[in-house]
Parts: sequence; C-alpha cells; structure tokens
Amino acid sequence: MRIRSAAPAGKIALLVILLLLGLTVLGCYGTKTSPEGGSGGTVAEDTLFLSPAVKASGGSFGCTPAAVDGKLVALSAADGTRFWEITLEGSRSGGGVFGCQSSASPAAVYGSPAVAGELVYVGGYNGKVYAINSSSGVLRWVYPREGTLEPIIGGVIVAMDRVYFSDADGKVYALDAATGDIQQGFPFTTGGKIWATPAVSGETLYIGCFDKKLYALSAIDGSKQWEYETEGAIASTPLVYNDMVYFGSFDRYFYALDAASGSLKWKFPADRWFWTKALVNNGTIYAGCFDGKVYALGAENGQELAALDVGSAVYSWPVLIDDRVIVANGEGEIYAIDTASNQETLLADIEEAVYAPLSAEGGVIYVYSQERNLYALNADSGVGLWNLTIK
Amino acid sequence: MGIGDIWNLIAMQPMINTLIVLTNALFNNFGVAIIVLTLVVNGIIFPLTMKQVRASKAMQDLQPKIAELQKKYAKEKDKLAREQMKLFKESGVSPAGCLLPLLVQMPIWIVLFQSIMRVLAVIPENLVGLSDFLYSWPIVYTTLPLENHFLWLNLATGDIFLALLVGGTMWVQQKMVMTPNADPGKQSQSAMMLWMMPIMFAWLTMTFPSGLAIFWVTSNIFRIGMQYFIGGWGGLFKTESKKPAGRDKKYKERIAQVEELPEGGADIVVPTSTQEEGSSDEESGDKRPDSGGGYTKSIRAAKRKPRRGRGHRSKRG
Repeated sequence: MRIRSAAPAGKIALLVILLLLGLTVLGCYGTKTSPEGGSGGTVAEDTLFLSPAVKASGGSFGCTPAAVDGKLVALSAADGTRFWEITLEGSRSGGGVFGCQSSASPAAVYGSPAVAGELVYVGGYNGKVYAINSSSGVLRWVYPREGTLEPIIGGVIVAMDRVYFSDADGKVYALDAATGDIQQGFPFTTGGKIWATPAVSGETLYIGCFDKKLYALSAIDGSKQWEYETEGAIASTPLVYNDMVYFGSFDRYFYALDAASGSLKWKFPADRWFWTKALVNNGTIYAGCFDGKVYALGAENGQELAALDVGSAVYSWPVLIDDRVIVANGEGEIYAIDTASNQETLLADIEEAVYAPLSAEGGVIYVYSQERNLYALNADSGVGLWNLTIK
Repeated sequence: MGIGDIWNLIAMQPMINTLIVLTNALFNNFGVAIIVLTLVVNGIIFPLTMKQVRASKAMQDLQPKIAELQKKYAKEKDKLAREQMKLFKESGVSPAGCLLPLLVQMPIWIVLFQSIMRVLAVIPENLVGLSDFLYSWPIVYTTLPLENHFLWLNLATGDIFLALLVGGTMWVQQKMVMTPNADPGKQSQSAMMLWMMPIMFAWLTMTFPSGLAIFWVTSNIFRIGMQYFIGGWGGLFKTESKKPAGRDKKYKERIAQVEELPEGGADIVVPTSTQEEGSSDEESGDKRPDSGGGYTKSIRAAKRKPRRGRGHRSKRG
C-alpha cells in the first residue's frame, strides 16, 4: 500500500490552523466572554436573598458559552436551608450563531438584591428588573414588560416607594416600587455607561458614571441638580454622610464633595483605582482600593489616619459589625479592622476570589465567592458556621 | 515568579498599556488604535514574514520534484527522506525556513490578541482583571474604560458583516499563495484548506468581540498587500504574475537551476507520461523543461555557478 505523505504546503497549512486555534484558546485564557455575575446576599427577617453566578458549560474554541437563566434564591440565614428560588427569565439557552452564542444576554446579577416591604428587587445583566414576593418567590412585576434595557450591572435601591437603578446605556430609572411603572421625569440620561449602584439621601440621588462625572439628581423628578467631573471613570457607589458625598474614581483619587452644591471638599490619592463603596464609622471613612489597602480617612478633611494592608485588591463592599469593618480581598482573605485602633487582623481565608458585596446579620458574615460557594462565618472568630454551593 | 508572571511583565503589560495610550492619542478611538497597532506590529515583524512567505513559495516551487521523488520511492521511506533532504539542500530551500519565522511571530500575535481581549473589558470580571496589567501612568488611568463603539460596530460583540470580511480577506490571501498541484489528492486537500480556514475564522468572528475581527481583517489586508508585492495576484487571477522583486529572485533562480539541470544530485526521474500525474504540465502550471527523461547534470555544479549581480537582475525585471 502506498503511503501518501501530505505535501509540505499542506502540512504547513495544517500547522497554521493548529497554531491559530492555539492562539485563539490562549488569547481567551484569563478572559471571559460572558458575564457571570454573582450578587452579594441581602438579609431580611432571617432570610438571605442572593442571585448566584451564572456559569455555563462549553465555550471552547472561542465559542461563547450558551447562556443559562439566572436565579434569585431565598435561604434561611441560620443554616442555609433553601426556602424558594425563582428563575429570572430573559435569556435563552442555545440558539444564536451556529447554536453556539446565546442570542440573549444571561440574567447575571451583580448588585445585591434590595428588600422593601413584601417585595425583593433585583436587576440583571439581561436588562430587566424583577420584583418578587419575598415570602413566596412569586414574580410580582418585571420592567420592562417587553424587550430589555441595556445590561444592568449596578444594584437596585429602594427609597421613597421607588426603585432606582441604572443601566449600561447611561440611563437612570425610577420605578413605582409596587407596580413597576416608570416615574415621570425618568429616565435621566448621562454621557456614559453606568455600572455603579445609586445612593439616595433626602430627595437627592447620587450616581457615578463612566463619563467621569458624579451626578446629583432630584429623586422626585429626575432633574439634574449638579455634576462633578473627575479625571477617571466612576464605578464606585457613593456614600452620603454628614452632607458630604464620598466616592472613588479610576483616576486613583478618593473624593469628598459637598452634597448640596457638588463642590470639592478634598480628594485623596492612592496607587490604584477605587471600585468598592466606602464605609463610615465615627467620623472615619474606610475606603478599599485596588492597591491592596483600605484607607482610613478623616471624613471632614481627608487626612490619612491609616493605610491598612489587606494583601490584595478590594473589589467587594465591606460591612460594619460592632465597630469593626469587615473586608474581603480578591483572594478570599477576610479581614476585620478595629475602628478604634485602626488595626487589621485576618479573620478567615476562604481561598476563593470574592467580588460580591459582603453582608452581615446577627453576628454572622455572609460571603459569596466566584466559585459559587456561600460561606457563613462567625463575625467574632471567623470560624465557618456553614457553607453551601449555590448554583 | 512563574512563567505567567514573566509573560505578563514582558509582553502583556507593555502591549496593553501601549494600546491604551495609543487609543488616547487617537482621539479615544479604540477601533483606530487596533488598526494602527496591528499595522505597526506587522511592520516590525515584516522581515520575518517576508522570509516565511519566500520560503513557502520556494517550497511550493519544488513541489513537482518532491512529487516525483514520492512517486519513485513510495515503498522506500528512508530513501525518500534522504532524497528529499538532498533536494532541499541542493536547491537552497529549508523546510524550517517556513516554520521558524512563523514560530517567532506567534508570541507576538498571541500577546496582541490577548491584549485586545483584555482591554475590551466589557464585563466587570474582565475590567477588574485588567487593573493588574496597568502601569501607573496617569494617562492610562484616565483613558479607561475604552469606548467600544467604532463605525457601526460594538467592538465588544460579534458582527456578521465583519465576519464575512474576515472570511473573504482570508480566502483572498490564501488563494493568492495557492498554486495548482498535479496530484488530485493534494489539490483537493489544498482546496479544502482554502475554504476551511476562512469559514472557521468567520465563525470565530461572530462569536468573538469585533475588536478582534478588526485585528484579523487588518492583518489579512496587510498580508494581501505583501503577497501582491512579492508575487502579484498569484493564484487569485489567471493573469501573468507580477515579476518577483529583489531577493525573491534568488530563490526562483536556484529552483530554476535545479529544474534545468537534471543530472546528479537528487535522484529524480520524471514520469514518461504526464497522464500518470493526473494532469498536464499546462494544467498544473509547473514549468518542466525536460519531461522526457532523467536529469543528467549535477545540481551541485549549477550551484557553483557564480550568482548574478543585483544590477543584472533588475534589468531582467
């Protein structure tokens, strides 16, 4: 039998194909093409509400994994027993180009759910906001009723019987909390994407935008009160305290503005950008930064009281428990900062990346990792009480 | 420090930060920045690419001889390998010449490819990860995140028109370098490659962000231009090829010498009937000055001939 060897040109072409496929796979290494989300937990009346990360199998050779539906689950805050779960519709599994890429965005949820009255609210990357009965898990309303908005990456908040949120199209929305109807004067359109969660104080809503501006809007009619421009995009959620607004920017500065006028009070430089929301306790602001530090700053003048080394970048929102600030870094180390002495101690190490906001209730810290594990830790000792894989 | 850290330090970080600074300099237009950086990188590795293309072309020109050797030594693999190596050596063509430049280019393509993927950062997970690669230059921090709209495109999502453009330019580029083969099996293999690659990349384009597709289209157009510079439209149109310029003649002349001098050197016997190869010389497009018998003159002797000077070659051109 004659063995026919491929021509060198053919071999080379085959090699090129293999190399290019390798290039494709290597190029994707460390990057994601589909949003996963994974919200922090919100505790209300002994129930923990949480949207797990959306992860689909497949996706090799540059093929975006088929999107799967997101969820909102309600768990017992005491032991993690699942009360109910609801599928957040709006994504299709399969379909799309050659049956490979989903033709709709997955309902990944990044912001923590908001609970008010008998409803729990959550916004998804699929561009929809859901209001769900917190006891039964039955869907009350969805906005928009038809079609979708641009991806909703920041969380939703509830104030003055309204649900406030924003989308990646730079629009700020206010809905009636009971019916989901859009309120007059909204949406307000900014000049860039919005990934931050809004903050409402009094009748003013504050929100940061990728157009490098922080906006102050009337929470009643959506009219702009003032805007302040920084040198970088703003993804952090503002903190309002003592008539001041505090937030960090991609320009590596942490800002304090007058809440009424938007005039700059002070700004503090760091080595990397700010992403997470700051906390305040007894006149001291605690701001986690991508440079692996939590800065303790005087709320009035921005004086640096301490630069607490927490090992690696801080992405998730911290929580305050009994004069201690609990912070998780990107590598899963949980630190407790004593606000009296401004000293940090390592409380626990779950060894899994943590991006989702932390939550706490009754001396228990809830941490949801990017590996889709939920940890309940004793806030004093850091000892694990229980953990669950939430998919 | 692991290999990944070293790779990030010496390759990823410089490329990512360059891309961001370039975007800032080009009016915050990320699409234009991708095009410019792709052209710059192609320009830097141009000598390597030229070397690879020339070597591939020379290898293709030797195909008739290789086919003859394969036919003659179909049952003697060792002998076939020896004769092939002899032929390569005597004609001055190195099979590694096609691959080495390609292998050297691969890390450059990978880093450019990875950088574009990372800088697009359209979902929080990727933007968070991007922060690890940034230099502490103020311009980098104030430029991010990049605007992902360019012309009608959302650079973060796939686009069907761009997919067709990627597939089309890749097909044209491959068609230009493709030469007809006398062996029907190999001809069909080449034809399959001609369609498989563009289809595969068009499919990838639809599933990847458009920013990558711009990179592919720009690279393809650059290479089409380069191929045209080297050998005209090649196999794309059935017209007279553009005369080779400069150093490319060297390969052509050597191979021509091998073909003209049939004695000694590699033990090649040309089939007595062209029908045995499945097509005529005219169909195959290969020039065979001696189709009736064996080669009688040493190729080594031909190689010892003094080379013609550059000036003489230019007169021929």
